Amino acid sequence: ATGSESTLRQRSTVPKHTPPTDSNTAATEDAPKKVIKSVFTSAEKTNSLIALAGLTALAIVSRFYKINEPDEVVFDEVHFGKFASYYLRGSYFFDVHPPLAKMMLAAMGYFIGYDGHFLFDNIGDKYNDNNVPYIGLRALPAFLGAMTVPLVYMTMREAGFPILTCALAAFFVIFDNMLVTQTRLILLDSMLVFFMMCSIYSYVRFYKTRNNPFSLKWWSWMIATGISIALTTSVKMVGLFTVATIGVAVIWDLWELLDIRRRLTMQQFMNHFYARAIGLILIPVVVYLFWFYVHFAILINSGPGDDFMSTEFQETLKGNTMADGIYVKYGDNITIRHKDTSVYLHSHAHNYPLRYDDGRISSAGQQVTGYSHEDPNNLWQIYSDNVENTKIGNQVKDKDVIRLLHVATSSWLLAHDVASPTMTTNEEITTYSTNEDGSRFNETTFQIILESGGDKLRTMASNFKLLHQSTKVAIWTHSQKLPDWGFEQQEVNGNKNLVQKSNLWLSDNIEGKNASEIDQESSKAVKTRSFILKFLELQGKMISHNAGLTDSHPYQSSPIEWPFLVRGISFWTENETRKQIYLIGNPLGMWIAVASLAVIIGVSGADLLSRRRGFYPLNQDVQKRFYYATGFFFIGWIFHYIPFFLMGRALFLHHYMPALVFSYMVLAAVHGFIFIEGVDGPISDPGPETRPRQLQRAIVPVIAYATGIILMAIHLGSFLFFAPLSYGTSAPSVAGLARRKFLPQWDYHFAK
Amino acid sequence: MYTSENIKRRNPVGSSFSRDQGHQQQQDDHHYNSQNENQNRASADPYGPNPLKPAFQQQQQHQQQHQSSVAAYGYRDHYQFGYAPPRKEYSANKYIRFYQENDYILIPTLLTLVSFWTRFRDIKSSDYVVWDEAHFGKFGSFYIKGDFYFDVHPPLGKMLVGLSGALAGYDGTFGFDSGAKYPDINYGFMRIFNAFFGAIMVPLAYWTSQELRMSQAACIFAAVLVLFDNAYLTISRFILLDSMLLAATCFVFFCLTRFRNERHDPFSLDWWLWLAMTGVAIGLVSSIKWVGLFVTALVGLNTIEELWDLFGDLSLPKTTYVKHWVARAACLIALPFSVYVASFALHFAILRNSGPGDAQMSSLFQAGLNGNDFRNNPLYVAYGSKVTIKNTGYGGGLLHSHVQTFPEGSGQQQVTCYHHKDNNNNWVIKNVKSEEVPEDAGSPRILRNGNLIRLGHEQTNRSLHSHRIKAPVTSAQWEVSGYGDDTTNDANDEWVIEVVDENSHHPKDGQLRSLSTTFRLRHRVLGCLLTAENVNLPQWGFRQIEVTCDTRNRTNSPHSIWNIEQHWNDNLPAGEGNLYKSKFWKDFWHLNVAMMTSNNALIPDPDKEDVLASNPSQWPLLAVGLRMCGWGDDAVKFYLLGNPIVWWGGTLSLGVFALTVCYYIVRRQRKFQDVTPMEWDQFLSAGKLLVGGWFLHYIPFCIMGRVTYLHHYFPALYFSLLLFSFVIDHFVNRPGVSRKVRNVVWAVAFTAVTFTFLFFWDVSYGIRGPAAETMTSRQWRGAWNIIDDHKPNTFI
Repeated sequence: ATGSESTLRQRSTVPKHTPPTDSNTAATEDAPKKVIKSVFTSAEKTNSLIALAGLTALAIVSRFYKINEPDEVVFDEVHFGKFASYYLRGSYFFDVHPPLAKMMLAAMGYFIGYDGHFLFDNIGDKYNDNNVPYIGLRALPAFLGAMTVPLVYMTMREAGFPILTCALAAFFVIFDNMLVTQTRLILLDSMLVFFMMCSIYSYVRFYKTRNNPFSLKWWSWMIATGISIALTTSVKMVGLFTVATIGVAVIWDLWELLDIRRRLTMQQFMNHFYARAIGLILIPVVVYLFWFYVHFAILINSGPGDDFMSTEFQETLKGNTMADGIYVKYGDNITIRHKDTSVYLHSHAHNYPLRYDDGRISSAGQQVTGYSHEDPNNLWQIYSDNVENTKIGNQVKDKDVIRLLHVATSSWLLAHDVASPTMTTNEEITTYSTNEDGSRFNETTFQIILESGGDKLRTMASNFKLLHQSTKVAIWTHSQKLPDWGFEQQEVNGNKNLVQKSNLWLSDNIEGKNASEIDQESSKAVKTRSFILKFLELQGKMISHNAGLTDSHPYQSSPIEWPFLVRGISFWTENETRKQIYLIGNPLGMWIAVASLAVIIGVSGADLLSRRRGFYPLNQDVQKRFYYATGFFFIGWIFHYIPFFLMGRALFLHHYMPALVFSYMVLAAVHGFIFIEGVDGPISDPGPETRPRQLQRAIVPVIAYATGIILMAIHLGSFLFFAPLSYGTSAPSVAGLARRKFLPQWDYHFAK
Repeated sequence: MYTSENIKRRNPVGSSFSRDQGHQQQQDDHHYNSQNENQNRASADPYGPNPLKPAFQQQQQHQQQHQSSVAAYGYRDHYQFGYAPPRKEYSANKYIRFYQENDYILIPTLLTLVSFWTRFRDIKSSDYVVWDEAHFGKFGSFYIKGDFYFDVHPPLGKMLVGLSGALAGYDGTFGFDSGAKYPDINYGFMRIFNAFFGAIMVPLAYWTSQELRMSQAACIFAAVLVLFDNAYLTISRFILLDSMLLAATCFVFFCLTRFRNERHDPFSLDWWLWLAMTGVAIGLVSSIKWVGLFVTALVGLNTIEELWDLFGDLSLPKTTYVKHWVARAACLIALPFSVYVASFALHFAILRNSGPGDAQMSSLFQAGLNGNDFRNNPLYVAYGSKVTIKNTGYGGGLLHSHVQTFPEGSGQQQVTCYHHKDNNNNWVIKNVKSEEVPEDAGSPRILRNGNLIRLGHEQTNRSLHSHRIKAPVTSAQWEVSGYGDDTTNDANDEWVIEVVDENSHHPKDGQLRSLSTTFRLRHRVLGCLLTAENVNLPQWGFRQIEVTCDTRNRTNSPHSIWNIEQHWNDNLPAGEGNLYKSKFWKDFWHLNVAMMTSNNALIPDPDKEDVLASNPSQWPLLAVGLRMCGWGDDAVKFYLLGNPIVWWGGTLSLGVFALTVCYYIVRRQRKFQDVTPMEWDQFLSAGKLLVGGWFLHYIPFCIMGRVTYLHHYFPALYFSLLLFSFVIDHFVNRPGVSRKVRNVVWAVAFTAVTFTFLFFWDVSYGIRGPAAETMTSRQWRGAWNIIDDHKPNTFI
């Protein structure tokens, strides 16, 4: 292969394919015994610290600038502010996200003396009027959002990039409008990104100690990584993407260790494996569970989240209504209510029309419907199927076979193989008068199957199915209204799909038993339940509800739109002043970052193809840095972005935030790849067996600084241009909004 | 446990000749056995000489090639490292010798004959329309009658059904109602025609296994797995597309493996032949059902891999490399596409008459069908005309409304786009209130560009209406509803006609003509365009297409452009019958988009549980069967159920294969040589194809939202069956496995499959009498509803 074939820049004057470093004779030119401690001089270290301090100061200013405005509830502060209040009250709530970040907010509130009296009900509710110390609450996310910046800087620095590259990455993160807006409000994403960067930073540190395995430093950084990924996941389940990023790197690392050329015995390899299993699996699991333990320990009172949980769970909460339930006995008159649609099982002295509009024929029996109001026709008397032994006065147990007598018309509930009024696949439910002969007895027996709440039927507490004995259908109702002949009440029919969740009913009342009796009967003791059962139930509910968040939202967007910033989110508006907060990234910055991702793909693709043809366009050290450092951040971007394509739930632009941080790091690294010659190295700690390595220094030419400053200028200009929309502190004019509308989909308010 | 002693024992890759003594001894013993065996052994190298290997290795391989005699069809006799070339030793007995000399033809012939017998026997046992015969028999009838119909599947399979009917002398008049008794038509022949395709899967499985270099016993076992799977048997015996799809899938895979084995000799006649055959085969399979695209994807991935391998061959001239690309592009893209298009050309050529599928196509296409009355439409459209309005986008429907209302948004009457012709598509063009012009004053007023109109729905008298309320699905646009009537209407009912184009010889004078003039309808107040963009409404909208008022003002989008399809006006003269030909490519594309749209609408209704549908997670372990007909005691009942041993074995082999590969990979990283590099290549390359085939035919069903049925798993099953045999073969042909053990394993495997098949015989050939009396012992899994009607769903 000749050089003319290559369209890639020749990276350096080093021969195209340098042999592996361990056989590199050049190293011997330096003093062979001397082990290089650090490639950086002390002057560079000082410069780096100054840069770090400056950037951190900028970050704090950007996050805390006019943090008191607006003094109103903004966007999802509705949720997360509310949850913080519930923690302070100790009342049980349900959310799809794990508890850590909300508990941090609550802790912040606790320290600044907030008592949780405000419920953050609507966007635009005034904080000052309600006496809420919202600045303190916002200070926590804002601080962590600012602290993300030094973490980004240090991560890049530890990964071996020159100060310029690190500063660029940090600068991009400081002056991104989305990161600013989202981290200075009472939201979870600030904690998420902070812990995520902690994880990445710790992992880079850990990887750099790999030549001294099982040393104290090695253990410390590994456990720090483990704890950080656990904290990330304890904020939002998105943290699992961070876990995946680290996980892939760890698996790759283990695979390398397994290679026989690494001269590890199997025992040594397994030690590596077990150590990582402890540090990166076991400890994180414990930390994750710990926050749930604290969660349950704080939320001891009954609250708005009760209904999401099982009866057994609710009974562990103080003041829950479950304990109000009383046991149903044979002969009682009960009302039966559908769990999902909250209608009563109802019947009345009107019959199904013999012939429906579509020509089908019914049994013309008495109608059984679902009715949403209290009515004497909702009363059913519960009988055993055993005529001789009526069991009157005995408690109704799980799997008992019962008959239900409609009290007002004195007829038995019955299901039979006749198509229901609206669904030909389902059976008609009707009743059968007690005056007639008993020939249809077998069609009136139902088995009562309790799905929760113990093994005896209890009002309020027990959810049950009524399974028709002879035809195996479950009594079911759905929101379909019957036509005029059914008084627009809900249709009740026999469902062949027995496992459907909407088959559940509950008995909410026993006629003639009043509250005082209830009080006497039940002791109202709060029960206990093992932590692990509570955790498993809550975790399951979180996952299923998260997947169930499919309702469309006016500002939702699809993942493909995010990197290109096709659409933002309106966070908050104020009509009088025409101020608004519109969540949008730094448009120019994000678009340049996307281009840099394309560069990554292009360069690695071209490198792959040319190496396949026996041509090595990149200097080996540059290539290694490109794949191990830049490539790692790129993998981070992939893992924090691509999985969203598989999610069915409603998605928003701010879900791109973690990936956005990675994309800025990649952008800075790509800038370095293009403009900086060579790399600094070695950067890993030397170990006892490390051979002396050749010291390499990157050459940062003037053009690198020039382009870096241009990039910063573009980024900062773009940030300032959109800052009024990000901070919501001033209202741009209509013309000003029109100027800021780079894309027609950016639907600002007050644009006309 | 892993001491330095252990490490010493490992062999570096590539030095497989220098095995230590103990190993060699073992191999020699084994070799002694295998000589007596007299059977073709699995070859070590799948492709013969590999162009990518260094030259000295290639030479070695050539020598080996010479030593081994190429005897049988499609079968090259290689030997493994450490063996002398196995020579066939023929028996002295002349009959046995005859068999030994001709086994390559005798075995597949015998398998095929048994396959024909199992597929064809007693095929007329049920004289009524079973299961989806109701669909596909009916579609076949349309071809015989030439009536245009619409269906979500491409036409080839259904044309073959039509062909079978034509050959059977059927005149196309039977309605194929589900469960109806067959009148005097030769449905037996039609079923045999279908069953033929199911039957040839068996020899294809045999030959494919040979191409994958399995041993003879394994090839036979793979064929027997296909032969004795009750599900394949059952589904082949009725007038359905599945047997054709399966046979075509098997054929593609056979061609692919055959082509791979020609890779040592590129651009030879055989190489070209099998490459082209692969192309034709993927064309055929995709023209039967779109599921064929999955096996096409397998071919595509394989092609990418081959091209990548060739790319790394530095000795290959660049022109040769380009030739590889061109050859594949021609044979694997152009050729299949031609086959696919040809099937549609034939489809349009046969279906010349107006039929039930008209409304899916463009108005111009419909006008070209025999028996269509569009040519009688009055030419010019006027106020007072009654019209149907067709969206010009690919797959566009007719503007429709019905009494049902939106459950959200305004709650007013729904307006949708619909592909079925009924009276709810009729709209009357009316004056707007602001321009009081008497409608019947003298001659009708012809519509022109820029005119303001109100569209009244004929059946409900509601007006086409839009307002600042979000559309139900595409929430960025405004909702379009039916609202008000002649007395109560407001400015939101007013639409402006914007004439776009004229598709006829008439001048573009801005007048609105039926069929040929395309136009936009712009809401006067909101300025948005009436648009229908192939987005299906939820169940409450009957999955019809959502109609919105699009504010983006995309004046060129065909989804915002409409034409008048049918037109009635008593005051205007009937049209002179001008016909404007629609173009084939437009029709082709139109039909394909319509198929895609309808396919997307086939998503399960969460409110209703379909007893026939099943979940992909239930398939691999056969958690579910499917009743194919009514379950009355006196009916002959068919239950679509696989042979459990076959299905479970196939699924198990996937897991075993994955674990084995992991084991070998990890061991190789530690340089333990469990298999020779050639065995490893062979194991991986064949396994990759089989697992890839299974994966590509299974995973998409887990992702796609549409309703899925048990028989969607059948193509994937084929790959897992071959893998089943392949995995057993790999383990019984290891050094150290004695011949005795090998024979026992195969005997057990064959017996288990055969007996389970016989045990479930009635399930496939028809259960006579009450199921509960005879079938109780067959109820192996709780969720099978062979006997009991109401079984809970189980996952996995």
